[in-house]
Amino acid sequence: MGNKQTIFTDEQLDAYQDCTFFTRKEILRLHSRYHELAPHLVPMDYTNDPECKLPLALIVNMPELKENPFRNRIIESFSEDGQGNLSFNEFVDMFSVLSEMAPRELKAIYAFKIYDFNVDNYLCKEDLEKTLNKLTKEELTPEEVELVCEKAIEEADLDGDNKLSFADFENMISRAPDFLSTFHIRI
Amino acid sequence: MAFEPQRQGSSSNGYPGDQQSLRLRRVSTQVSNQNAPQFNWTSTPAEKDEKGSSGPRELRSIPMPMALKRAVRQVQQMQVPVVSSVDSWKRKKTRFLLKLKEDVTGFLVFFTPWRKSLQKIGGNFGGGVHSYFLFLRFLVVLNFVSFLLIAGFVLIPSIVFRSVGSGLVNSTAPENCTKYDPNPQGLVVFYTYLLDVLSGTGFMEYSYLFYGYYNNTVVEDSNFSYNIPLAYVFTAAFYFAFCLICITARMGTAARVAVATGGSTVGSYSMIVFTVWNYSCLGDGNTRLKQKNIHYRLQVDLEEERIKKQAAALTLRQKLFLYTLRVFMGVVAFGLIIGAFWCISLASNFSQQNSGKEGIQGLFFQYLPSIVITTANFVVPLLCDQIAVREQYAPSTTVIVALLRAVFLRLVSLAVLLFTLWSQITCYTNSEECKLCQYNYQKYPCWETRVGQEMYKLTLFDLLINIAVLVLVEFPRRIVVDHWSSKLAQWVGRQEFVVPSNVLGLVYGQTVVWTGALFCPLLPGINAIKFVILFYCKKVTLFYNCQPPLKTFRSTTSAFFFLVVLLFGWGLATLVMIYSLAAIHPSMACGPFRFFPSIWSIVPTSFYMLSKTSQEFLFFIGSQAFSVPLFVLSCVVMFYFIALCSVYGKNVALLRAQLKLEGRDKQFLVKQIAELSQKLQIPKHNEEIED
Repeated sequence: MGNKQTIFTDEQLDAYQDCTFFTRKEILRLHSRYHELAPHLVPMDYTNDPECKLPLALIVNMPELKENPFRNRIIESFSEDGQGNLSFNEFVDMFSVLSEMAPRELKAIYAFKIYDFNVDNYLCKEDLEKTLNKLTKEELTPEEVELVCEKAIEEADLDGDNKLSFADFENMISRAPDFLSTFHIRI
Repeated sequence: MAFEPQRQGSSSNGYPGDQQSLRLRRVSTQVSNQNAPQFNWTSTPAEKDEKGSSGPRELRSIPMPMALKRAVRQVQQMQVPVVSSVDSWKRKKTRFLLKLKEDVTGFLVFFTPWRKSLQKIGGNFGGGVHSYFLFLRFLVVLNFVSFLLIAGFVLIPSIVFRSVGSGLVNSTAPENCTKYDPNPQGLVVFYTYLLDVLSGTGFMEYSYLFYGYYNNTVVEDSNFSYNIPLAYVFTAAFYFAFCLICITARMGTAARVAVATGGSTVGSYSMIVFTVWNYSCLGDGNTRLKQKNIHYRLQVDLEEERIKKQAAALTLRQKLFLYTLRVFMGVVAFGLIIGAFWCISLASNFSQQNSGKEGIQGLFFQYLPSIVITTANFVVPLLCDQIAVREQYAPSTTVIVALLRAVFLRLVSLAVLLFTLWSQITCYTNSEECKLCQYNYQKYPCWETRVGQEMYKLTLFDLLINIAVLVLVEFPRRIVVDHWSSKLAQWVGRQEFVVPSNVLGLVYGQTVVWTGALFCPLLPGINAIKFVILFYCKKVTLFYNCQPPLKTFRSTTSAFFFLVVLLFGWGLATLVMIYSLAAIHPSMACGPFRFFPSIWSIVPTSFYMLSKTSQEFLFFIGSQAFSVPLFVLSCVVMFYFIALCSVYGKNVALLRAQLKLEGRDKQFLVKQIAELSQKLQIPKHNEEIED
């Protein structure tokens, strides 16, 4: 119904609909947002799956991400090369996970990735300290930061190794009532 | 329970990694923790087949890169012909239902107005304020739909059948009781019209707005009959039931989230660190304030811990002193609230006695109860806050106690007003005047209209006060704070949007509307318009005058809490409606029930006019032979769900404990392996030296 769009084939739109939590309209809107970021680089015709990646510096300027202290880590977690260059697939994937329909488990997996600054599959004390400093813009004293990190690890660590594995993180997140509503970007 | 297979999938992926790590351990002597279970990012598509035929839609919840997902989907699409016809039919059906669901949600967008505004509000001011505006939107939609209901079944038939139809019952009544003349005599001054709009008297009194204008007409045609009084009663009853269903349904969704997460514990630092930053917040330069907010919150939690430690370390004598202080303060707060009630009762009596006065003075006397209620609802919570500070509760308990007191004050002050009104109508104190018509016919020839007018005035006054506060207090405050840089101005600071008291204002307004709906049928429509105006006013004041909140208000449990308080208001209104329907004699001078002994008695009267089979059927439903088995059945169903609930809860607790134990087991086994490998290494080393 409506006007025929030529950006994606119907097959591609179906594929996107199945692989993300977006409807056809939202996927087309995402494409226009992606295109806006770099009108000269992003082709309007995606029917033959062009290879086009946008660098981190361009994506970080989106109004939804600009003020987020974890913007770099978010974009890096969703990029295949780990450097923050997103193709359209990864761009849609990122906003799909951060949309309100994504289930808690999926969000927990990516939240763990985001907060894992040194990418060692554990949230160690340094990761927590970096997270806290980004949150409070270094307003807390070093002793307070130390105290909060220690308490946080103490509360969530189940296997006693002084760092949070994914199982610990997921167990703690499952008890947090606000996680679904805060880990959510509207686009 | 769709996530369960995935959970198995992910944890079973951890274990193969474990076996690999044990092999590695035999090679190296380094004791490291790298081999504890990690999430395997390259989870294979193979495990998905175990889940069965729900393939396509499960793809979106898998943490694979998009290109991989699309490849997997292509493979799945190619596999489709191999699947049996039953499965493919099931798949087609689910696809069709999902498409239908998407179309319906697209249509329902009409019932969720102001999406973009709410998005902006949530982004800039956080979850608490956002939940207030969601609640307000819910009330607007509820009131609008109720108005459509009432208009369709009562208002439009009344307008259409005004001149057609005959009175239902004609009976003799004492002549004095049927005297009612609401139309003003002679020339009226022009500003009387404005006063009439504000207080519902004069030209507005005898109109579709109030109960008194409706007639007890019954239209009977060859194949169509419409009984307006019966429609009136049933619409009112259905309206209450409909509101209850809507509120309960909404509470269900809110409760599900609250129960699943098991409530929140204060001082849970890990949760705060990982869930506090609202990713959907849009910055706009407010990031600094948000960071201050987080800082404040962590400090509050550290403070709570300190207070808890202090409280545990108190001596017996100090504890005794603290408890007596708390009891004393509680009594003082209660005394304040009772004092407020007494003032409201006085004001209501005074207003009813002086209701005949003209002009501005008359208007003032008419609005006196509203003024006293609003003042009490403003002053008493302030004093109670001061009392709460002296009581030295933990910060979270203080918030809850203050809220409970405010809710009690609001709802019971309304109840006091209604009680005063009713006692005057039914001559509770002085039964002389009510002997003739069983209600006070001299003061209230049409008492239902008078009650409707009171509710109308309360609603209108609430709106006017909100607008007045906005214009006279909030805008000047912001102008003063922004342009006058003195210490006093900085200390006062910009306005903060206090969510709890605003929500209580909404609940109060809605309770007034529910109470008055029976007597003022258009009140839900007026209330819908009032709430729409309120939405825009509050939005304007939020963006121009307020700063982002310093203290957070939990958004998930708060949605549930708002609905619980709304339910209290509904309960109060239902009590009032039941009392009015059953106990008081309707006025004989006006209204659709003028010749009935009570409003409810029209139902039995119409009941006996039904056909014999319908009567028998309805008797059967009401009889013991039907209702007792039904009651037993619903008890059984209820207990089944309670049992299911507790079993799931126990299951969750068991799984959590198991998770903990397995983590410790793993650690223990890893240590054992390290020790064993060391033991094996040392003899080898000795052998090497000997060689």
